[in-house]
Amino acid sequence: MGDTVHARIHALLYALAALLLLGQAGWHYLAGEYTRILLPAMLTPVVLTAALMRLGQPETARLSAYLVLVTGYLLVAMELPGPSSLAPFWLGLPPMLTLLLLPLGSAMLLNLTLTPIWLLLADAWLTPDLVLGYLALVVVAGLAPWEILHQRALLKATDPMDEECDAMRRSALHDRLQSECERAELLGQRLAVLLIHLPQLEMAREQFGSGAHRALLSALCDTVARCSRDHDLLGREGDADFWLVLPDTSESGALLVRQRLELALQRRVLLDTGQLEARLSVCCLRPGEEPASFVRRLQTRAPHAT
Amino acid sequence: MQSKYKVGLLRLNLLLAALLPALLAPASASLTEALLLWLAAGWLAVSALLVEFSHRRPALVPWQLLPSLLLTALLLTAPERFPLWLWAWAGLVMLPQPAWMSALNLLLAGLGWGWLARGMAPEQALLSGALLAGLLLLGLLRSRDLAPLRGAARRRVHLVPGMRLWPRAQLARDLARERARSQRDGVHGELVLLRTGRRRFWPQAQRLCELTRRFEHCYRLDGRTLAALLLSRDAEQAARRRADLLGRLGPVQRLRATPLAQVVSVSDECRALEQQPGSTRFPEEAGHG
Repeated sequence: MGDTVHARIHALLYALAALLLLGQAGWHYLAGEYTRILLPAMLTPVVLTAALMRLGQPETARLSAYLVLVTGYLLVAMELPGPSSLAPFWLGLPPMLTLLLLPLGSAMLLNLTLTPIWLLLADAWLTPDLVLGYLALVVVAGLAPWEILHQRALLKATDPMDEECDAMRRSALHDRLQSECERAELLGQRLAVLLIHLPQLEMAREQFGSGAHRALLSALCDTVARCSRDHDLLGREGDADFWLVLPDTSESGALLVRQRLELALQRRVLLDTGQLEARLSVCCLRPGEEPASFVRRLQTRAPHAT
Repeated sequence: MQSKYKVGLLRLNLLLAALLPALLAPASASLTEALLLWLAAGWLAVSALLVEFSHRRPALVPWQLLPSLLLTALLLTAPERFPLWLWAWAGLVMLPQPAWMSALNLLLAGLGWGWLARGMAPEQALLSGALLAGLLLLGLLRSRDLAPLRGAARRRVHLVPGMRLWPRAQLARDLARERARSQRDGVHGELVLLRTGRRRFWPQAQRLCELTRRFEHCYRLDGRTLAALLLSRDAEQAARRRADLLGRLGPVQRLRATPLAQVVSVSDECRALEQQPGSTRFPEEAGHG
């Protein structure tokens, strides 16, 4: 949902930029500077195209950022060599625009490669002070997207829950499974894992988009939460593979859970994909088995073989 | 590890960023300008020292507010020297921050633009204002990207990657579950609260995580209180483990252990820890008190 809202706001901004360009062309016409009309007038349809492309598929959306970027570059490049004392002021616009529109790596690369060009274009105003000021702007402003990346990586490393659904991430799942194995060993209890595979998941995203994909995931997590106990752990092992860790459960108990879950899942009918299909199988911890070898056994167990 | 490597690069970038204002400072026209540039360099350098890959030290609002104030002051004192830094507002708005701070940043950006626009032709002022507004909006969108992720995750993340230390909110949820579980399993479970000094908190937290078993979770209740859910076969083993733990953990200021069945709530336990007469209190003594 957030993505489409973002795309719309971006498209709206680009459309407003096109309007601004048109206004600029009109202004030049009124002021009688006929030679300067051409560029903004020509770039207006380019930016309008970018606005429409932003609403399309992710690849075209990425291309639209480059179109807007090139437009901004051309306009600033036309402005810089002029006699206006504003040249140093406009110099700050291109690197910021790059950082805002592109991912950090490519933005920094582009900014640093284009530095000599911008500085030479602003030739008349070139002083060591301006060079340092420009470099400071590029480097300091680059810290902002970097901080965002840092925060995101940190959340990913510390949040046990999956981004898309109400199940644990793979790393957290393996951690908890290992500790449950140790606990079972210490207390002499049994441990079972229910392997769940959702064959429709990939197809749902390809054919019906991310909405159907998310609906399928949340239907599964919901149903599992209702059919399992408070201390059973649901984790996402692969894209369409889930493990439900059942502490203190014997094989017959796990088979019972499997039967109950199968029945409940069959009753879930979704709007796009229809009846929820899931393949379940049970795997139990053998007495005296090492946690690592149990995990290996779970991983090699073909999820679709029942 | 990859994340460590990235933090190293970020630190390098911060130090490089600190170097540039420091180089600019000697050529300043006035003392205030030089002072502001040195302050900016100092802020970046100290940030470089503080940056780390964990939630141990969340960024404080005054610390985050400083660069915005510095940029405003620089634009106001030396508008002819750094006019291009006006565009840096889009970067400041991009940072993850509370909503009121975004609003303040927008306001300050408007102020900076107004100050610079005095020296421009009206159409140029209008054009630059419109462009700046557009860039600020783009920056705001980037910062809002992260907001939903942060809000919900804050209460369930563990605090340092790779360490089994959880926030207080997680304990309240785990407590009920562990109580039911240990009762059913016939295991003696107890909640141990530890009060340490502020300075020794993180080393002792690390030690506590190492000394407990993998399935026994540890929690940070506040800046100097740690908690752990210990599971043992019976009360006798629990007492032995507690003594062992205390011996290997080094001196703690206060300690309180309560069997899970007797724990009413986390805040009650914290209050009891605060008010208990001795420095340590074990379940055996609880009956007499």
